[in-house]
Amino acid sequence: MTSPAGSINPTACPRCRSDEIRTLGKSPVAAVWTIFGCPTCFYAWRSSEPEENVNPDKYPAAFRLRPDGLADLKTVPPVPPRRSAE
Amino acid sequence: MRVAYKDLREFLSVLEQEGQMLRIHDQVLPEPDIAAAACALTEIGENSPAIHFDNIAGFTDARVAMNVHGSWCNHALALGMEKDASMRDQFFEFVRRFQLYPGALERVESAPWQEVVIEKDVNLFEILPLFRLNRGDGGYFIDKACTVSRDLDDWNNDDVENVGIYRLQVKGPNRLGIQTVPQHDIAVHMAHAEERGEDLPVAIALGNEPIITLMGATPLLYTQLEYKMAAVMQGSPYRVVKTAKGLDVPWGAEYVLEGRVLCGVRETEGPFGEFPGYYSGCHKYPVIEIDRVSHRKDPLYDAVYVGRPWTEIDFLQAMTTSAPIFLQLKQTFPEVVAVNALYTHGLVVVVSTKIRYGGFAKYVGLRVLTTTHGLGYAKIVIVVDEDVDPFDLKQVMWAISVKVNPAGDIVTIPNLAENLLDPACSPGGIVTKMIIDATTPVAPDVRGDYGEELDKPENTDQWRTKLQDLIKEMRK
Repeated sequence: MTSPAGSINPTACPRCRSDEIRTLGKSPVAAVWTIFGCPTCFYAWRSSEPEENVNPDKYPAAFRLRPDGLADLKTVPPVPPRRSAE
Repeated sequence: MRVAYKDLREFLSVLEQEGQMLRIHDQVLPEPDIAAAACALTEIGENSPAIHFDNIAGFTDARVAMNVHGSWCNHALALGMEKDASMRDQFFEFVRRFQLYPGALERVESAPWQEVVIEKDVNLFEILPLFRLNRGDGGYFIDKACTVSRDLDDWNNDDVENVGIYRLQVKGPNRLGIQTVPQHDIAVHMAHAEERGEDLPVAIALGNEPIITLMGATPLLYTQLEYKMAAVMQGSPYRVVKTAKGLDVPWGAEYVLEGRVLCGVRETEGPFGEFPGYYSGCHKYPVIEIDRVSHRKDPLYDAVYVGRPWTEIDFLQAMTTSAPIFLQLKQTFPEVVAVNALYTHGLVVVVSTKIRYGGFAKYVGLRVLTTTHGLGYAKIVIVVDEDVDPFDLKQVMWAISVKVNPAGDIVTIPNLAENLLDPACSPGGIVTKMIIDATTPVAPDVRGDYGEELDKPENTDQWRTKLQDLIKEMRK
C-alpha cells in the first residue's frame, strides 16, 4: 500500500487505512496543495505535509487507529436522557 | 492604566513598537513551518516576541499570528503594564482587578467582522489558514478562539452566558469537533440543550484582543460573565455585538463562525497535543455544524502552539489560574500571601502564607485541593513561608531543601478526583494528591533544629534600587 507524499489521489487514510477518502479543500492558489479527509476516523491531511502525515506506510505506529476500534472510544460527555414532556 | 486594546491588530502594533513582534515575509509552508517557528520561540526565552506570517504557501492573502501571549513581556503589555513587570507584580495587579468584578458591557450594533459574510458553501479549510500543530494531531484545530453560548433554560440571563476557549477540530468543510470537560460552563449549556432535545447555538470568535482570550482561559464561576471580567481587566466597558441568534461577540474579532452544537451527536475526535505535554488520545466528542462565517477584510488568524511546557498556552493558564485559587483560599485563610499556579495549569501549586500556629501550613495545602480549580487540577501543593516568593523557584527550592523533613512534612491523600488529561491518573480521572509543607516548624510543632535564619546586610534594599538605576543607565 503506497501513497507517496503529495499524491493527488491518495488511496487510503494514512491513519486508519480506510479506502474512502474525501477531498475537503484546495489551496486558494491553484495546485499548491489539497486537503483530504477520512470520513471513517476523521483524520485530515494536506498533500504538502511531511511524508509521515500523508503516507500510510510512513504514518507513525503510535498514532494509528483501527476502524473497528472506533466504536469503543469513550463518549465524553455522555448524552443525557431527554426531559419527559409534561 | 492604558486604554483597552480595541482589537488584535492594535495590540500587535503595540507589540511591534515595543520590539515584541517579529514579521516573517519569506514564504512558509503551513506544515511544519508555522508550528515549528512557534515552538522554537518558546525555546528562545521568557521574553520571546509574537510572530506574524504573511506569505503562506497556497494562500493568497492569509495572515497568521502566533505567540501573541507567549512571554511575560507580552503578558504584561496585554494587561497594559510595563513590559518588564515582574511575575509577582503581574499576579498582584491581576488579582486587584479581578476583585473589581463586575464591569459593564458596551453593546453596539455593528462591527468590522461583519464586513464579509459567507452563508453558502462554507468551507473552513479554504476560508481559514489552518495548519497542523503537532505531527500526531488528528487534524487541524482552532485552539485560541472564544466560543460563546447561552443557557437555553435561562436564555436572557447575561450572567450565565459563557465565553470559553475549547479546542475545535475542523473535521469537515462546516463541521467541528469540540472538547469540553464537566468543569466547563459550556458543558452545562450543552447538557440543558440535549435534555430539551435541541441544538445549542454557538458563536466562535477568532482573532481577538488579548484580554478576552485570557478571560476565556480563566476558571470563573458559572454566574460570572467573561466580558464583565474583561471590562474590569481593561478598565473600560467591554464592547460586544449581538449575533442574529442573540449571542454577544467581541467587537474586535477577526472571524466569527456561527453554528450549532448538534443534539445527541458524538464523533471521533483527536488526538491533540495538550497542555500536560502529552497527546490527549481519541474520544467521541460533540459536534458543531457551522451555518455562517463572517470576517474582516484581510482577516488575521491567530493560534496558540501547545507543546511540552513551557509554551504559549502556559502563559494563558498562568495568572488566570493563580488568581481565582488565591482569592478562594484567602477567604478561608487571610494569612495567605500569594499563589503560584503557573505550572501545567496548576497541577503544581505553590502557596506562600503566614503561619498561625504549628501544623497550620498543611491545612492551607488541603484547602487548595478543595478550591474550584483545585478539585480537578491541583495535585502537588507546596506551602512556603510568607517571606518566600512563590514565583521565585530558587527561593521555593531553598525552602524545600531545608524546611522539609519527609518524615512529617509530606501528606498524601489517595484516590482523589482529577482531570482526565493528567496522564499520571490511575485509573483515568483518579489520582493521589500530595501536600509538601516547606514552612519552618513553629510551636507546638517543635521538629527540627532551626536556629537564626540569615538576613541581609543593612541598606541592601537602598543599594538594590541605586544599582538597578545605574545598570539601566550603563546599558542604554
